[in-house]
Amino acid sequence: MIGKRAFSVMYMLLLTLGFTSAVTLVYGVNEERIERNSRLKLQKIVLDVLNVPVPFPSQPSNIIEIFEDRVRIYILNGESIYMALSEDRRDIQGYAFRMSGAGVWGPIHGMMGVSHDLDRVLGVAFLDHSETPGLGGRISEEGFRNQFKGQPLPPERIKDTTYFRVQPPQATVRSPNEIDAVTGATGTSNAVERMVNGALNRYLPFLAELRLEQEELTP
Amino acid sequence: MAGKGVRKLFIKGLWEENPVFRQILGICSALAVTNLLENTLIMGLSLIFVTSLSNVTVSILRQVTPSRIRMMVQTLIIASYVIIVDILLKAYLPDISEALGPYVGLIITNCIIMGRCEAFARSNPVWPSFLDGLASGLGYALVLLTVAFFRELLGFGSVFNIPVLPAEWTRWTIMVMPPGAFFMLGIVIWFVRSLGPKPAPKADARG
Amino acid sequence: MDLGISAFVIFFAAIFTNNILLTNFLGMCSFLAISREVRSSIGLGLAVVFVMTWTSAINYIVYYYILEPFNLVHFRFIVFIIVIAAFVQLVEMVIERYSPVLYVILGVFLPLITVNCAILGVCLFMIIREYTFLQSVAYGAGGGIGWMLAIVAMGGIRQRLAKAPILKPLEGPGITLIIAGLMALAFIGFGGMIQIQ
Repeated sequence: MIGKRAFSVMYMLLLTLGFTSAVTLVYGVNEERIERNSRLKLQKIVLDVLNVPVPFPSQPSNIIEIFEDRVRIYILNGESIYMALSEDRRDIQGYAFRMSGAGVWGPIHGMMGVSHDLDRVLGVAFLDHSETPGLGGRISEEGFRNQFKGQPLPPERIKDTTYFRVQPPQATVRSPNEIDAVTGATGTSNAVERMVNGALNRYLPFLAELRLEQEELTP
Repeated sequence: MAGKGVRKLFIKGLWEENPVFRQILGICSALAVTNLLENTLIMGLSLIFVTSLSNVTVSILRQVTPSRIRMMVQTLIIASYVIIVDILLKAYLPDISEALGPYVGLIITNCIIMGRCEAFARSNPVWPSFLDGLASGLGYALVLLTVAFFRELLGFGSVFNIPVLPAEWTRWTIMVMPPGAFFMLGIVIWFVRSLGPKPAPKADARG
Repeated sequence: MDLGISAFVIFFAAIFTNNILLTNFLGMCSFLAISREVRSSIGLGLAVVFVMTWTSAINYIVYYYILEPFNLVHFRFIVFIIVIAAFVQLVEMVIERYSPVLYVILGVFLPLITVNCAILGVCLFMIIREYTFLQSVAYGAGGGIGWMLAIVAMGGIRQRLAKAPILKPLEGPGITLIIAGLMALAFIGFGGMIQIQ
């Protein structure tokens, strides 16, 4: 006759085994899909910030196809720089790189694309963040992100340049490189300013060198 | 089970013993995700899913489970279902999964589920337990949707992300920030309690 | 990924600018139930500080040294809550042994701490925010103290309110939530104090 205690322990163990198996099963079935989702998200965003046109509405297969067709990856110190090929596949149209920073609630991860000549921004997009939905979270919206599109970048590379300033929205017209913050989300908006400037300061000098190298290789 | 019994269960879950405004349970997530209706809906559905299935499982096992460890067993069951919901959300609704963030995981500590398992499912047959879980979950979801409706409307001027109020409307941004959540829920509870007499006073000091 | 935020800053932020109760809504159930008087608030608050600090540390180690390397990350909910439950059990035994008075005050509440979403919440948040070990412990400690601050303040307010005439439907949770809203509003004022950078 099994003692009460022993039965409790065995019961618990059995139950734990049963439920963890069930969970593992559900995970196993969906694991690939989850990974595919995050890969797809990255590819979509890279294409977006590099201004590679994508049909709307797009299927996952479209994204993957276009990505493999038009984007090449260059690995530097374990990080990936994404290069967009032009339509005729002969030139490089732009570069995209990661940007990260500390947001109000947690890290913000995003990507930024710049033109081949490094003279303007092609776009910015956010991979993930934990900002307040509807407030700080609005940085993901097109309205906010589009402000960066086409903005000029100076040719000189000076350390710690403030390429962009995020200011409270005003009625008057803005000078270039001034971005309207998200109303009510000062913290998050400031975080974006830091992120964007940090990433540009970090990658522009390197990209300039990379570009020189590539030009030397292709006559 | 007679139709009348089903009705009673639902009235209990939705009104008389509504988990949010009568029993004051599950408040954490009620405040956190209710600044957007879309997120609230998914959270509500997730909770209904977990509560009903947990109730069913606890009920199925109720005669086998030793009384001493029933809390641990309940926690295991609830946590497992929550993980399953989390996985499914990540796989099929990744954007919403991100928006809900850690609050999906926090469904585990949502006192409503444990409360129903303890109060009902462990001493009742499977079908009524399922309905009880469904009713409580529904009661929770409806209150949350009400709070979210006002918060999103006043704070963003939209309903389910569709702009409803004219652009000239000055948004009450405070409504989508934490204080707004507290105020809104407090007002809802106030409103509901002034409507009906509280049936059989429940002790306020419930976990 | 160390974003270079000082652990001290996280500690203070968790108490004031990102108070886990008034900003993240963690731990509301016991907050609403226990905050009637200062004495029980202090008791529960201290218990929360203790449990939260230790479980952040332990769960950090468990997550990064056991779950991640073995690709068991999706089990974190179960594992975290087991760790929390075990630790609370331990605390209960210790209190029972060494301070019967405290045990009488807290007895009912200790099991409550296990389902206190604040403890699990802090563990989940520290993973999402990719904090280092030091940052996680600072976050756990600060979070607990912030929670205690809120519940003790509420206890003081409610003790005073006990004699005030309040509309019947507002009594209890209604007025508590509205007061909490005012407190949250006040805490937003701390916002500029700390630059999370």
